[in-house]
Amino acid sequence: MSNEIRKEARKQYFHYFRIWFIMIAVLLVAAAVAGVMHGMRQNVPRTNFSAPAERVYDYADVLTDEEENMLRQRIAELEGELAIDIVLVTFNQSVEGEEAMRQYGYRSTDWEQNMMDYADDFWDENKYGYNKGFNGDGCILVHNWYEGQNGEHLSPSGRVEERFSVDDIDAVIYAVDEYYDTDPYRAYLAYVNKTASLMSETGNVQLPFMVILVLPLVVALVYALVNLHQKPAQDTTTANTYVEGGKPVMKAQADDFIRKSVITRRIESGSSGSGGSSRGGSHSGGGGHHISRSGASHGGGSHRH
Amino acid sequence: MIFVCKNCGGNVVYSPERHSMFCPYCDSVESDERRDHPGGELSVCPNCGGEIPVEEHTSATQCPYCDNYMIFNERVEGQYTPKKIIPFQMGKETCKNSLRERFKKCTFAPVDFLSEARLDRIQGYYVPYWFYSYDTSCRYDGEGTKVRSWTSGNIQYTETSYYRIHRDLDIDFRNIPVDASVQMPDEVMDLIAPFQYGQMVDFKPEYMSGFYGEKYNMTSDLVESRARDHMDADAEKLLKGSISGYATVSPGQRNIQVKNSAAEYGLIPLWKYDYQYDGQKYPFYVNGQTGKIVGMPPISKKKVWGYTGTLWGCLTVIMVLCRLIMGWL
Repeated sequence: MSNEIRKEARKQYFHYFRIWFIMIAVLLVAAAVAGVMHGMRQNVPRTNFSAPAERVYDYADVLTDEEENMLRQRIAELEGELAIDIVLVTFNQSVEGEEAMRQYGYRSTDWEQNMMDYADDFWDENKYGYNKGFNGDGCILVHNWYEGQNGEHLSPSGRVEERFSVDDIDAVIYAVDEYYDTDPYRAYLAYVNKTASLMSETGNVQLPFMVILVLPLVVALVYALVNLHQKPAQDTTTANTYVEGGKPVMKAQADDFIRKSVITRRIESGSSGSGGSSRGGSHSGGGGHHISRSGASHGGGSHRH
Repeated sequence: MIFVCKNCGGNVVYSPERHSMFCPYCDSVESDERRDHPGGELSVCPNCGGEIPVEEHTSATQCPYCDNYMIFNERVEGQYTPKKIIPFQMGKETCKNSLRERFKKCTFAPVDFLSEARLDRIQGYYVPYWFYSYDTSCRYDGEGTKVRSWTSGNIQYTETSYYRIHRDLDIDFRNIPVDASVQMPDEVMDLIAPFQYGQMVDFKPEYMSGFYGEKYNMTSDLVESRARDHMDADAEKLLKGSISGYATVSPGQRNIQVKNSAAEYGLIPLWKYDYQYDGQKYPFYVNGQTGKIVGMPPISKKKVWGYTGTLWGCLTVIMVLCRLIMGWL
């Protein structure tokens, strides 16, 4: 291949892929900017100093001291990285019914409402939130171990509330549910880790690695096949192309009726029915956004066992 | 014979753009003067005396030394006198642009496929053709059916009516072209058609100046079967087209009778681009009148792998970057 052809090949190549290369360059710049922003966010210094240093409140006494310390250590590691407060509360107290309402001053007799209020109030009264003590970034999981009322409520706030979808809240609660009755420490560690992994991910839009591996390959193969296909020249003559005047001269034309035959067929009548049944189901979601009694915004969802 | 300019003595050629004789040296129009060299050897250039490679059927060529175009009298006269000719309607530049336009989307064609240097090798040829004319009488006698269906109560009726169909058509075919060149592939010459016969004129050797040419090297008897096949197929289609409105038509009796026939010898303009790649020839033919192109470009394996791989790489990089950006935002 001569130098001139090589030069021309390079020219054609860069001309052909210029849009792609520009797109990559733009995305590289965007990635650099996003990376810097991400780095800056990761090193965000704590600005809320009014919250207590404690993150693990094991009022139900389901964890050993060592387990509590390990959880505190893990939470401390992640809080620095994610710039959110992660709080865990276990307790053992009735939150349902008239008596609980009277005794503990709940505003409702409903389990879910009171679990939500418990979590929100705990968060708001202690002024948790990495960046500020009201509507600050973070989340709290409260787990009630009271017999017959066992269940959790997760209450995200600030940036965590914005990021977490109903599915994400369910995912965190399900992670706890998997181990709470066999290994509470493992269950709460799962809460901390799941919260951290969801906060590290891309929000609601994610590109799985399989898609990144397979999709470009499929597109490239289709591209190759489409471009390998070449349309050959077609015969563009018609039956009239060489006919003088463009059409034949009709000298005689006859369409004479000869005979006819009729066939009859009886249409069978009948009816058939089909029955069906539908099965319905109900599920409860994690819960939507709400305003706590102190006026702060929380998301959240509960799961009663 | 060669055509020289009365003004400057340069070789005058036929210009498709100007539809006239043109001197590319002094830009004179219709300044041509015919110079014959009776008795001269075919293989010697009458202008410079250089030796010219002349093949058995060549009727017009270019001297490789002085670039003058010459026409061999004995191969365009007497029994070889073409009755008709369609002069070139599109020039070399137009033809090159047509090829560029037609194949610009052939991504995997070799890099130099449409390069100026390669395309400049395009040569104009006058290809010998026989043009057949047939006055025919075509008859069809057969049976057709029409079906009607309706329902009354719980009875469905299907009525089939039978008709005797008769058609008698006069079809006059004019100028069915069949190439008379052994060199030119028949299937390509069939595809390069049709031609616009309105631009067909009486032959003059001036039209050949500036191009290569061939005299017929197959007689009309030898190739007429191709014209007959074409005529039969077209007549069959026209007969079929004249019968409509029937659910079924029986094969019946078809009779195509030729009342008169005639064959005329003529020349058709053709641009030929011979592209070589990986030791293989890829010829392209462009109808010098209509611009219709026949030919398939080769595929460069390097380009297939390179371009497909690059696209795959670009897409992967873009998706990875998007994932990163989404994760960081």
